[in-house]
Amino acid sequence: MVSFFRVIKFAFQDAARNAGLSFMIVLILVLMLLSVNTLMIVNVLTQEATQSIKNQIDVSIFFNADATTKQVQEIESVIKSFPEVVSLNFIDKDQVLVNFKEQHKADPEILASLDELGGNPLGPTLVLKTKEPGDYQKIITALSVPEYQNLVEAKSFDDTEMAINKISVITKQVEKFVLALSVLFAAVAFLIILNTIRVSIYTQRIEIAIKKLVGATNWFVRGPYLVESLIFSVISVGITFGFVALALHFVDPYVTIIFGRTSILTNYFLSHIMLLSLAQFGAVLALTVLSSLLAMRKYLRA
Amino acid sequence: MISLKGVSKRYSPNVVALDDIQLEIESGEFVSVVGQSGTGKTTLVKLIIAEEKPTTGHIEIGGWNVTKISQHDIPFLRRQIGVIFQDFKLLSKKTVYENVAFALQVSGAPRVRIKDVVPKLLDIVGLGNMGGRYPHQLSGGEQQRVVIARSMVHRPKILVADEPTGNLDSVNTQEIIEILRRINEFGTTVLLVTHNREVVNQLKKRVITLHNGRIVSDEKVGKYRL
Repeated sequence: MVSFFRVIKFAFQDAARNAGLSFMIVLILVLMLLSVNTLMIVNVLTQEATQSIKNQIDVSIFFNADATTKQVQEIESVIKSFPEVVSLNFIDKDQVLVNFKEQHKADPEILASLDELGGNPLGPTLVLKTKEPGDYQKIITALSVPEYQNLVEAKSFDDTEMAINKISVITKQVEKFVLALSVLFAAVAFLIILNTIRVSIYTQRIEIAIKKLVGATNWFVRGPYLVESLIFSVISVGITFGFVALALHFVDPYVTIIFGRTSILTNYFLSHIMLLSLAQFGAVLALTVLSSLLAMRKYLRA
Repeated sequence: MISLKGVSKRYSPNVVALDDIQLEIESGEFVSVVGQSGTGKTTLVKLIIAEEKPTTGHIEIGGWNVTKISQHDIPFLRRQIGVIFQDFKLLSKKTVYENVAFALQVSGAPRVRIKDVVPKLLDIVGLGNMGGRYPHQLSGGEQQRVVIARSMVHRPKILVADEPTGNLDSVNTQEIIEILRRINEFGTTVLLVTHNREVVNQLKKRVITLHNGRIVSDEKVGKYRL
């Protein structure tokens, strides 16, 4: 127990007396964590952007004017049975006519031809949204059966199919790119931290040898370095989160202008604060401890 | 106390540091090991403190079979042998007091004992008022006296001094040798490795001469003859 407290005391003492080295290690860790957090912000913004595009996509099913309510309801229940469907709005034929007139109010010829036809030549419409743009095809295929062909006048999907497919491909590619970038950043961070700790231990190799020569056990020598890893991890995560909070304070208003929602990034970080802090602290601690153990191994043999 | 039987150390088939060393040192002896550079004096010290293992032979130090000592037991052996080095080997980021105290702290000694023992030892080596200084603030002789104080914290039965005066002027050399002589008078076995002719001749104690890794002479009251 006495040795345990001494190890902790030596860790704080060494960190303070090697202030320059400690500062460099914390600086490197903070820079690495800032890179990771920047990537995370890019990831959140990418997801927000793709979600925003996905939200703007919907498919309308236009019914013939003589389609009965019962027939429309039947198709409505078929569509609702798909778990991929997020929303389904029914617009009755009167509202469809109002919308049509509103849409073409600047075009007197269309309005005149509508008057000539007399009555309401338009049928009701179902507007549906799915979780993923790729899900529309599945629903459209289900409706493309002979018994519904006389009821459905047109589907807007036929016009937007190409655009939807393109968006699906782009969003998937962007997600893959961000993932690849994250893996690359993690690898670079690992190598930089490993080498920083190795250099730090290398500069103290003579001290390690002396401690061994006066009878210190391997754990008594290792202990302070491991506790120092803990101290550096806490400090670097704390500083990084301080910088991130400051950065979000300035970035969020611009993000609000683009996506129309307030505090997207701040809300994301606040709602994930425990996970983010524990994950980053755990990763940095594991990296520094592992690096210290690996770097010290050969100096502890004597 | 110290027993080496048929000890050899080869770094490669062509590099033989020590060859068939037979050596018995009794408790309380003061033994000087002399020889030119590269004759295996420092290798002998490294074998005694288990910094290296012999290629062949058997080493026993104060009841410890050093030939077969496990990694786990090495720290415990080193706490029972005081070691003094030519290059001092002080922890540069620790004060004089902390350097001496460290040797006790590694063995889990209580604070009360450290507070009692360390100032006394610093007084004995004449550094009672320099406990708060760092090694770089001391002269070579003062640093070596800190090392002697550190080596004595466990009241070892054996003190191994590897060229302790190698970096010192004649005045400091005399002071260090005098301290070693006093330590020996209190019953500690001293093994002094040196190539300082004056020191060896003045001591008038047992002298072992190494040449090309072999013991070429062992005299009860010897002189430096190389």
